[in-house]
Order: sequence, then structure tokens, then C-alpha cells
Amino acid sequence: MDRYLTVDRGACAGHGLCYGAAPEIVDCDDQGDPIILVEPVPEALLGQAEHVVDICPERALALQESLQASPSA
Amino acid sequence: MPTTRADVRPDLVVDFDIYDPALTMPVDRMQERTAELAKVGPIVWSPAYAGHWLVTAYDEVHEILRDPATFSSYPNNLVDAGQGKFLPIELDPPEHTSYRQALQPLFNPTRMRALEPRIRELVVELIEKFQGAGKVEFVEQFAHELPTTVFLALMGWPLEDAPMFTEATEIAMNGKPGDTPEQAVASRTEAAMQMFGYFMQVIHARRAAAEAGEELDDITTAVMHTRIKDAEGVERDLTDDELARMFFLLLIAGLHTVQGTLCWMMLHLSTNTDQRDAVIADADAIPAAVEEVLRYEAQVAMGRRAVRDVEIGGVTIKADDQLLLLLCSANRDDSQFADPQSLRVDRTPNRHLSFGSGPHRCIGSHLARVELRIAMEEIHKRIPDYRSDPEDPAVVLPSQVRGFARLPLLFTPVTPS
Ligand code: HEM
Ligand code: SF4
Repeated sequence: MDRYLTVDRGACAGHGLCYGAAPEIVDCDDQGDPIILVEPVPEALLGQAEHVVDICPERALALQESLQASPSA
Repeated sequence: MPTTRADVRPDLVVDFDIYDPALTMPVDRMQERTAELAKVGPIVWSPAYAGHWLVTAYDEVHEILRDPATFSSYPNNLVDAGQGKFLPIELDPPEHTSYRQALQPLFNPTRMRALEPRIRELVVELIEKFQGAGKVEFVEQFAHELPTTVFLALMGWPLEDAPMFTEATEIAMNGKPGDTPEQAVASRTEAAMQMFGYFMQVIHARRAAAEAGEELDDITTAVMHTRIKDAEGVERDLTDDELARMFFLLLIAGLHTVQGTLCWMMLHLSTNTDQRDAVIADADAIPAAVEEVLRYEAQVAMGRRAVRDVEIGGVTIKADDQLLLLLCSANRDDSQFADPQSLRVDRTPNRHLSFGSGPHRCIGSHLARVELRIAMEEIHKRIPDYRSDPEDPAVVLPSQVRGFARLPLLFTPVTPS
């Protein structure tokens, strides 16, 4: 099953820990906000994706089965 | 009516003044003292400065930082030395937003990563100057020099001016050593005025250069070209006064903070040698170790002001009440961090609040992280057995940005290669 990394833009505060930790999955734009590079996340990078979900200080990242916004967002 | 002492439950009234030198001298007891406050409650009351709330717990600090509609950033300082607002840190959204968007790209992660080779060169050069001596006053010869030199290069300001504004900034934040509280307010105001005068000169010199077709390519120029949207949504240039307030904030925000974190890195890794060994053994451990040093000693305590009555942390905060958010105790809240009193360089996740959160989250964090990481790498390659000098202890200063005045270190001398 495909897994997608999503950012809750309302929660993200641009700490940048995600793209610091997993540059293959997340990059950043000019403002320092995250950009997800891989959709869906390839099998080989799933471990890293789970890691960035875990480290985000704002709990703004999630691994989901589709790109639909999560109900809480 | 704002809260007065009589309105507060007596058990929540504490004796605490963040500017009290006794908090950090002769020995830094800030963490100990704020941990005691946290035991009293997530939000407690200090009668100092006409009374203010002290927020000690992680969840409450986080919530307040992310709710600028209820908790305004003006004033951010308990003691006013700026004679007006610092920009953009004392503006609230939506006014804050366009300043923020103008500044953010100048310090974005990609640009800051590109500075890495130059920062590394500078770090090595600084260490090589003292590594043969076996001792160093770390503030003067490294922790102060590194962020100052990097910052001045980014801004394009003359290095020769550094001693003047280092002193003025220090006084503007902490007053002069030995000042009475009243004298401190006067010295702080005077130093702030001196800095504004300096920035006005920079601005005028830049405008003259631009007219002569000799504009420099640096952050000062970029900031001077900033267009912002005012409250009515009309675009305009920044005024000279606004530019000066922005430059002053960058200076205050960008130097002292990195300086302090570098010193804490040395102090705490030298007493937690197993943690230091982990850093020496594996350079890949360094990014997480930097985050842990940041968590362990958050130096900033920012102010907020309630704009309406609100219930939080078991107390009722009234409109116009002042709050002080103690990041250092939030970062050691055991509901968020396992074993928070221990320095664990591999801590993950590490959701510390040292750079704040919400709309004002530190713009310079990407720069700070590059400086801290490279310093940690090169120091542990060169003088890994540093320790503080028992004859000459560290001097830590309190205030809303706690920091180091001195940190004498000893280590095995190494001949520069
Ligand atoms: C270890 C180093 C640093 C720490 C711990 C730190 C901490 C902070 C904190 C806690 C805030 C939020 C204040 C608030 O919410 O009221 C902040 C804001 C800010 N910081 Fe930093 N900072 C550091 C380095 C830097 C550097 C290197 C720069 C500049 C290049 C910088 C520039 C700023 C600016 C401009 C703001 C205001 C942002 C806004 O109001 O939107 N900081 N910093
Ligand atoms: S770590 Fe979280 S808060 Fe920080 S940039 Fe990434 S998503 Fe945003």
C-alpha cells in the first residue's frame, strides 16, 4: 500500500528538523517551509519518513494512505 | 483590570526576578530555581516589575507561543530599553507577517548551508590561535568571535565596529555591572540610543553608496529593499527608524544566543564525559547532540501580554497581564522529556522550545545550527579533553537572554599543524 508524507501547514512552525534529518524526502522552500519530495514515499525511505514524523516538534507531519488532509487538520 | 497580587492564590506567589544577578552569580542556579517554580505550578505569579505571570510548563508555553491572537508579543521585555518596538519580534500577526516573509529568505536553510565552508575555515582559524596554549578564555577567543564575525560578514558591517556594539548591546540588555535597578534602566536606555545612532549612520552610508551606484550585495542591502504591507494592505518601504529597529534586533538575537549555546556545549560536555565520548567517536552524532545542548540550556525567556481574559494552566489571566515564558523549565518538563535533567546527546525525539514556536519562531535557527554543528565537529577533532578551570570559574549573566561573560577552559595543548 502506498504511503504519503503530509504536512499540516497550520501546525508547522518551520523548525526545519525534518529536512535537516531526511533531505531525500523533504526539502524546503525560500521561506524555510517544508516541501515533500517523494509522493508516495518509496519503500526504502519509509523508515526515514517515520523518523521525521517522530521528530517534528509540532507534530505537523503524518504518514497517510492518501493525500487527503487528515481529519484533525 | 489587570491582575494584582491580591487576586492571586497565595501559594502561587513566588519570589523571582529574572534580572536578579544572584540567580547566576557566583554560580548559575537558574535551572534549579526555575525547576522549583515549576513544582509550584505550570503558571505562577511574581510581584516583580508591577507583577507578571511566569509560565514554567511545556504545554502551556507551547500553547501561548502558538496563540498570538490571545498573547501579544508586545512588550517582549519586562524592562523597556528599546524606546519603542523591536522589529519584527514585538509585532503580532497580521502586521508581523510581511516583515517575517521578507526576512526569512535571507536566513533560509539553503543559504545558510552554503556558508558552511567559510564558517569552517573561520572555526579552524580561531581554534588554531589558542590550541597550542592549553588554556583559553573561551568567550573572548571563540564563542564571541565566531557568531560576531559570521554575522558581520553577512550584514556587511565593519569588523572594527564590533567592540563598540558588543559593549553597547551588552549594556542595553543587562545594564552595567554594579548598577542599581534604577541605574540599570538609565544605562540600558543610553546604550540602546547609542546603537540606534550607529544604525542610522549605517543606513545613511548605504543610501549614499546606492546613489553613487556602489550598492553592496549583503543582508543589509536586502533588508533595506524590503517592501512591507501595512495594516491597510498597502505596500511601502521601511522607514529608517524601522530599519534601525530591525538591525538592532538581528544583532541582539543573533550574537549572544549562539555565544551562550557554544559555552554551554563546552561546560556540559566537559562534565558529562560519556556523552562527550559519544560525540568524539561519531561525528554523525553531532546534529542530535547540538539539539540536546540547545534543549538542556534554553537561554531565552520571552515576554507576552494577554489581550483578553483567558483561563490557562489552572489560573485566570486578565487582559493586559504580562507573562514571561521560561523556556529553560519548559525544556526540562518531564511530561515531554524522559529523564529531563540528564544530558543525552542521542535524545530523540527532542521537541525542545529553545528557538520558540509559532509565528516568531527563530529566523536564525538555521544559521545557529550550522555554526554550532561545525564548532562541535572541529573542537572535538582538535582539543577533545577540555575542562573548566577550577581556579577561574565561569561567569554567567541572568536576564531574559541568559549568557556567559567568561568561560576559562583548560585542555592538553596541541601544536597547530
Ligand atoms: C542558539 C541560538 C539562538 C537561539 C536560542 C534563539 C532563540 C530565539 C527565540 C526563542 C526566538 C523567539 C522569540 C519570541 O517568540 O518572542 C527567536 C526569534 C528570533 N531570532 Fe533567534 N535564536 C538564536 C539565534 C539567532 C540568530 C543567529 C539570528 C540571526 C541571524 C536570530 C534571529 C532571530 C530573529 C530575527 C527573531 C525574531 C523572529 C520574529 O519575530 O518573527 N536568532 N530566537
Ligand atoms: S520539523 Fe515539523 S515544524 Fe519543522 S519544518 Fe518540518 S514539519 Fe514543519
